Amino acid sequence: MTRPLVAIRGVTQRFGVDGAAGVTALEAIDLDIPDGQFVSVVGPSGCGKSTLLSLVAGLRTPSSGAVFCDGEPITAPMPRKVGVIFQEANLLPWLSAIDNVAFPLKLRRVPKAERLEAAARMLELTGLAGFETRLPHQLSGGMKQRVAIARGLVQNPAVLLMDEPFASLDEQTRMVLGDELLRIWSETRKTVLFVTHSLNEAVYLADRVVVLSARPGRVVDDVAVDLPRPRRFAMTSGERFGMLKDRIWQHIKHAERR
Amino acid sequence: MRRHERVIVAAVVLGLFGLWETLVRLERLDASLAPAPSTILGALVRLLERPEVLQSLAVTAWEVVAAFLIAVPVGLLIGFSLAEIPGLGGLLRPLVNFLFGVPKSIFLPVFILIFGVSIPQKIAFGVFTTIFVVIMGGIAAVQSVPRELVTVSRVYGATRLQIIREIYLPAMAPILLESARLGMVFNITAVLLCEIYGARDGIGYRIAAWGENLQMPQLYAALVIVAAAAVAVNEALRLVEARLGAWRQRS
Repeated sequence: MTRPLVAIRGVTQRFGVDGAAGVTALEAIDLDIPDGQFVSVVGPSGCGKSTLLSLVAGLRTPSSGAVFCDGEPITAPMPRKVGVIFQEANLLPWLSAIDNVAFPLKLRRVPKAERLEAAARMLELTGLAGFETRLPHQLSGGMKQRVAIARGLVQNPAVLLMDEPFASLDEQTRMVLGDELLRIWSETRKTVLFVTHSLNEAVYLADRVVVLSARPGRVVDDVAVDLPRPRRFAMTSGERFGMLKDRIWQHIKHAERR
Repeated sequence: MRRHERVIVAAVVLGLFGLWETLVRLERLDASLAPAPSTILGALVRLLERPEVLQSLAVTAWEVVAAFLIAVPVGLLIGFSLAEIPGLGGLLRPLVNFLFGVPKSIFLPVFILIFGVSIPQKIAFGVFTTIFVVIMGGIAAVQSVPRELVTVSRVYGATRLQIIREIYLPAMAPILLESARLGMVFNITAVLLCEIYGARDGIGYRIAAWGENLQMPQLYAALVIVAAAAVAVNEALRLVEARLGAWRQRS
């Protein structure tokens, strides 16, 4: 087997004063994610899904264990390898759409013409050609999130981390953006780690769904989604889709009831 | 304001001045207390031809500008420190809040005792009055920086310096300018108060003298000059503020 692109090895994360009487958010997580795989992470509320992403993003280091990207341990953000998309678009409100997309390149001091060209290409990929000069407050929620996705992709990272990226959007925008994400993913073949609350979204988008338990978060199931690609909306009412969703729900229902 | 609204406002103002002028000419208004606008205008033109009046205006302008140039950077430095250094803020902010609420004019005699009746005294009192507004503005500006934008920049590899330049400064700019503008209003008031209370020169000193001698046309003409200058400064700062803060508009 080829080396996994993202490897999470024995990761435990505790929060609290000097570890004493603290909260254990994640416990002994082991995950191997091969290059190009789309992985959804689900689990009951407060199970540490977002904490797991922030570890891969390099925003914090685990209490024990380690996270590797392409064989290299992650101890700080690796902007050229890992793109991050948050629940809120978090665009810089004083920058136009194209300048927001170009922002990561600006931080790396890429020449202006070059970074604007790359940003324009990403806006086109995310379906926002023609909106380059708009300020964030002139864009709808869905469009802002498209800008955020374009910004996440602009450095051509191998890994895309998405922390409930569609959670604050309405149902229809969510579904449209889900399909858009799959189109972009099939064109770019990124490795995606996608945290969500929505079981529908988790199964519909992913090759594989990792289910975490209630706090402390442990991997309780690792479900291969064997639905054919490209995914179609009609599959969501199919028998196989229902069985996969039900299997995941059994874990979460159990945990949420406690 | 839309165009026809501007026309209406201008008409109302002109109408009031016309009414004033008419009432004085009909001797319904006491010209020794409220001289006619035409008289004030004449006095204004003559004032601006007198070198010693221009000299007084220059003295006041110098005091105001010097106090502003000291109060704004020092105030911002204090404000940023209170907002960013943990512990320091908790310790000193109650004191700042307390002093912010106290009327500064009651300290004027203390400043005369320390600095004498002098230009440094006006500047010092101007700084003292202005700096609290700027400190509060500095704290509010730091707190207005969205934490999640800092996180985003870190994810995309921003250094500390880049976070300050790319996130902190643009996010804070509108509030900083607003507090500078408010500070300027306090500053002008403080310097004029000092000059009226006791001075050897400055436009406030002349206003006080003209008032005591019942030279009403000169007094009103000086008020017009001061008001025009203060409004011009305020509007200029507001224009910059609006330009730098255009992104704050919600559509």
